[in-house]
Amino acid sequence: MKKSILIICSSLFLLTSCKKDTTGAEINLTYQMIAEKVWYLDYSQTTTSAGTTTKTYLGQSTYFVKFLKNLSTVDSDGLNGSFIVEKANGILQIHVKAKTVGSNTLEYIYNIETVGANNMILYYLSAGSTIKFYYNTSH
Amino acid sequence: MLVFCCLIGSIIVQAQQKTNSNKPSTASLDSAYLLHPFRDKVQAFKKSVKKEFNQVFIDFKDNKVYLLSGIGFSKQFINASGYNSSFNYDLANNKSAFKPGYYAGFRVDGIYKENHLYSFGFVLDRISSGTDYSSSISLQPFIGDFSRFKADDQFLHLMIAAHYKKLLPFKPNERSKFYVVGGPSIDTRLSGQSADNLVNNNYHRFLIRADIGLEYENQSFYTLFMHYKQGVTSFTRSPVSTYLNSLEIGLMIKASDLF
Repeated sequence: MKKSILIICSSLFLLTSCKKDTTGAEINLTYQMIAEKVWYLDYSQTTTSAGTTTKTYLGQSTYFVKFLKNLSTVDSDGLNGSFIVEKANGILQIHVKAKTVGSNTLEYIYNIETVGANNMILYYLSAGSTIKFYYNTSH
Repeated sequence: MLVFCCLIGSIIVQAQQKTNSNKPSTASLDSAYLLHPFRDKVQAFKKSVKKEFNQVFIDFKDNKVYLLSGIGFSKQFINASGYNSSFNYDLANNKSAFKPGYYAGFRVDGIYKENHLYSFGFVLDRISSGTDYSSSISLQPFIGDFSRFKADDQFLHLMIAAHYKKLLPFKPNERSKFYVVGGPSIDTRLSGQSADNLVNNNYHRFLIRADIGLEYENQSFYTLFMHYKQGVTSFTRSPVSTYLNSLEIGLMIKASDLF
């Protein structure tokens, strides 16, 4: 009888104590959210100590970027290359290595503020300002 | 004549087979002299469980096993105001309604100390749930309401419930009995979480709910019941609080009437 109780208690402990790899799950979900979609730039926002300036591209011909399942990327400026999603210092990032139309190599990293099925906000820091890009899948 | 001969022949063959089947086979005779450590252990375990059961449940009498099945309408009431994640979910197409699922299981009904009616239920519950978000965030300049948490809407639960039953004095005719029932239930989530919730491992494995309901018994042929289950503990980890409530309608039949 004691053995049975011990087995039941151990099973319950094992069932409840398993810790999942949440960082891997976060990166996988980000791939699912962004892949096989065309992301159109709707707004850009620059925040400095002086204030925030917002530019809108709604209803205009605008920049777009496409991320594919095979980890390749292409954008409206003619950049063509590969991308990965990674997490650094607790922040999700999209790391792009691409080539320009003139075959010059270009590498850039955008931080992900938030990503969803249809909305994505990316940002980077430059000389004390924060530059945010608001992307949408419908334009 | 030919048919008659065939009939006689088949009766004789059947009679011979019956005589042979009454005799113990060589294999069963051999088996009686062999050791069966596994079978003996199982028998000993069964005996000890039965002994323990009879000692502990000495006052639980007149137990009858019922099979039950039905439809359950469920909804999650969610407050995710303090939750932070890198993901956003548009709430524009969110359906805040009770969604239908189904369940099946068995229940043991009996009398405690010859006075108090009770039941213990063991049910597999396929839950489809609507979602009601009490808080939302804005991602301006994007238009609309968003949430950083996305509730799962499909679950498979093993539910264990204990009910206290009370016979109501209302009796429209001799065949009908009405009961009011109430008690706690423990739901164990058997299904996994969606990719959205694996990110922070948001859902608990266990959930406690309070159950109250009305049951109509038709002369022991069948019982119709309607229960409302209110979540007592949050289904999700802090800071997200999620209460899963269900309205269940079902039918219960005595197992001995079926088998």
